[in-house]
Amino acid sequence: MSGITRKGIRYLSSLVLIIIINFTLPRLMPGDPVKNLIGEDVYVSENVMEELRAELGLDRPLYEQFASFLSDLLHLDLGYSYHLHAPVAEILLDRLGWTLLFVGISVLIGAFLGSLFGALAGWRPEKRMSRFTGLAFIVLSCTPPYFLALLSLYLFSFRLGLFPSKGFYDVLEIGSILHHLFLPVCVMSVFSASRNYLVMRGSVIQEKEQLYALYARAKGLNDIGILFRHIIKNASLPIITLLALDFGFLFSGALFIEIIFSLNGMGTLIYGAIMGKDYPLLQGAFLVIALTALLANMLADLFYSLIDPRVRRPT
Amino acid sequence: MKQRKNFTKSELNRGLKQWLIFAVLTIIVYSNIYPAVAAEPENSEENLTPSNDGIFDRIITYIKSLLGDEEKTQVSGAVSEAAAAGMQQSADTGGAVLKIATPSVIKSPSFLGDSNLGVFAHLSNPPLMKMDSEGHLVGQLAESYEVSENNTCWTFYLRDDLYWSDGEPVTPKDIEFSIRYYGKEAPSARWINDTLESAAVSEANNSVTFKFNKPYTRIDLEFATYNILPAHIWETIENPVEYTNNGPYVGCGPYYLKLIDLNAGKLVFEKNPYWKGKAPEPETVEIHFYSSVDVATLALKNGEIDTYYKYAGSYPYSGIEQLEETGNFDFIEKTDIGLVFLALNLKKAPFSDTEFREALAYAINYEEIVSLETLGYGEVPNRGFVPSSMENFKETERLEYSPEKAREILEKAGYSDSNGNGILEGKDGKDIKLEILIRPEYSRTGELLEEYLEQVGLASDLRTADADTWVTLKDNYEYDLTVTRSTPWGMLMHASWGSGYFDSRRTGQGVMHNLDDPEFMQLCDNILATTDSQELQSYAYELQNYYAENLPAIPLYWSSIVTPYNRHFEGWYTDPLYGIYNLDNFVNVRKIEA
Repeated sequence: MSGITRKGIRYLSSLVLIIIINFTLPRLMPGDPVKNLIGEDVYVSENVMEELRAELGLDRPLYEQFASFLSDLLHLDLGYSYHLHAPVAEILLDRLGWTLLFVGISVLIGAFLGSLFGALAGWRPEKRMSRFTGLAFIVLSCTPPYFLALLSLYLFSFRLGLFPSKGFYDVLEIGSILHHLFLPVCVMSVFSASRNYLVMRGSVIQEKEQLYALYARAKGLNDIGILFRHIIKNASLPIITLLALDFGFLFSGALFIEIIFSLNGMGTLIYGAIMGKDYPLLQGAFLVIALTALLANMLADLFYSLIDPRVRRPT
Repeated sequence: MKQRKNFTKSELNRGLKQWLIFAVLTIIVYSNIYPAVAAEPENSEENLTPSNDGIFDRIITYIKSLLGDEEKTQVSGAVSEAAAAGMQQSADTGGAVLKIATPSVIKSPSFLGDSNLGVFAHLSNPPLMKMDSEGHLVGQLAESYEVSENNTCWTFYLRDDLYWSDGEPVTPKDIEFSIRYYGKEAPSARWINDTLESAAVSEANNSVTFKFNKPYTRIDLEFATYNILPAHIWETIENPVEYTNNGPYVGCGPYYLKLIDLNAGKLVFEKNPYWKGKAPEPETVEIHFYSSVDVATLALKNGEIDTYYKYAGSYPYSGIEQLEETGNFDFIEKTDIGLVFLALNLKKAPFSDTEFREALAYAINYEEIVSLETLGYGEVPNRGFVPSSMENFKETERLEYSPEKAREILEKAGYSDSNGNGILEGKDGKDIKLEILIRPEYSRTGELLEEYLEQVGLASDLRTADADTWVTLKDNYEYDLTVTRSTPWGMLMHASWGSGYFDSRRTGQGVMHNLDDPEFMQLCDNILATTDSQELQSYAYELQNYYAENLPAIPLYWSSIVTPYNRHFEGWYTDPLYGIYNLDNFVNVRKIEA
């Protein structure tokens, strides 16, 4: 069996497993979606409850619900949200767009800055600046994002009045969007950069001890050349893995950041769906996240073999 | 090691040079920051007094001045001045905008499907009835109303000066349509469909008559919650609960809902050009929703927002002092008609024993709970359960903390510690070990209760559960004690005065349905059978006496709903059901020179 077929089977079986878990997990949670839908202090008769249950298809046996879920999936139908009163695909598309905008940019900026500073710090770890950035990024990576977001909001929005405190915009214009997203993107970038920094720093410290680095120096290559033409290639392998993992994070949004900045993103959407037992929305959101993570892992596999010839070489 | 050997004199010099540059830069920055701050008190004629603020504030001041924002430069103590200026400006503008912060986030632009939106839409689509500040039900869109002797026929006479925001007059047909529409489309209003026999509209009398298939005495209260819809718009909408639209929505209140913008986190209401009632002053009312209460309180403190609203909730007590310090806010404080109480599993021993419940009531240190949970914005409740702000409140005995009395009652009732292990035994001879089921929001109260029970010889364990698990366990009666709360509507539902929480014939997420005493159920039925105010009052008193004597639940504290508001606006008004979010408030609020 060729490597590609083996990988294909692996990914396909992962997908099947994901679909099963996606269906099962929300139903294992305590709570009744119908009671949630009715609300706290509202009295409805058992008949109405049963009617609602039937309307939502929750009165059917689990295997029937699963079959219907699969059939809908094959028709690319993710169902209808109990609480948000719209097709799940429509809701996800809207939220994904905004989430991609602020989390995607943050992940990319974080990867770039973290890799750059991490590489420089790993190359000359004894320098004062390296030690300082190391300390700073360790502190940042240990700081809960909720606290970091609240602190930055307090400083830059409420004390300095530089940025708005909530939402994606005031009026739907590019300037307003950029103004609103600047602070959350900065906070998330810093947070993402701190993780990438630590990984890249460690990786460069390890790689620079290799013989090929010594050989490059012996050839007369300068520091910048050795680091950015040779070492960074091999040292960036863990960063690629981290980026692939970040894709899941990217699509699940950043709950705490969204809460602090009152952003209408994927994080709060999923949180709301969990609290409201909105099965179709949960299934849809988790499926999209899982598929994206799967795709990102496939891409990471591909990048690995492109960057590192050892991965391509047959064992 | 090799690098260490290479640590030469030139590198040492370079290191020293770097330190020198750093020191010089620090001095330059500090010398810039200091005057920037020291110059600030000139306005307050204290230019010789250096600021008392720390380096942190100075850095902020400096950054502000760098950004060319010198005129607005404020030190920390002066933040309130900036806020004051902003708020004054907001109030002075001809087309003033009244901004309300809320943690009740709108999740979907579904006019009929989103419960939070339903509350906010009272402003644009007011219900037929309303509650006045004293808790009496009076007409809102209805001028007056009457009920037949057998309580099956309700006639509502409409005001004749009501117009939709598209210029169409509000007719009795709109009322009939709305009520039927809810009955058909909203699961929570399915009772209308089941009980409404017929509805007759009279254009001549400008009235609508609803005839029910059984006596229904609480219609005036129910109709204080359903928003009235324009029939000419909504009759064409096939699936209204699933109908989503960002606005504008046609309304007949002083304002209509112009925009629902979930991504900007706001609702915008604009003046209804056809409104003939008392003209509201603010041109626009904006509801800004914040996912974090902390951020909402900061926005308020900063002067970005004029007031705060949460249905069945107060402004966070911990933030009140900070707002007071700004000098820009006044507060409305009113005792909530909802309360926090200790629910007992009446279906099993020892809680089925009245004497045990009596002892339990003495074991709780109410003063301590009130001071810790409400920070002084609450009071020790009465045995009659119902808070003093509710209509037909009856003064019953105040709950008292006396562990000695509790122990005495327990001993007399036959709960003793015969084996001397410090834990009282039940009537079955086994140690009493109680389980206190707690949701995370009441964890501190749970810990306090655990302590109080221990002091009177009752062992207990805390079991913390998320809201959904709590509902499941509560519905299966798998608890001994649990702390929960009632909302204003919860206190009014069923036979009112909190009865809806206990009557075992009811179900629902928040209700305990744990009381099947015939005396109590008869009282509920009596209340549900009358619309006579005298009779209602007498039954309400009987019900509160019943609570006081039998203690089916032990109220832990009555709390206040505190609403801060920009003191550049006056005329604030609050009702027990929806707090400041009522039509009268919005037409009365006026700007003033503060």
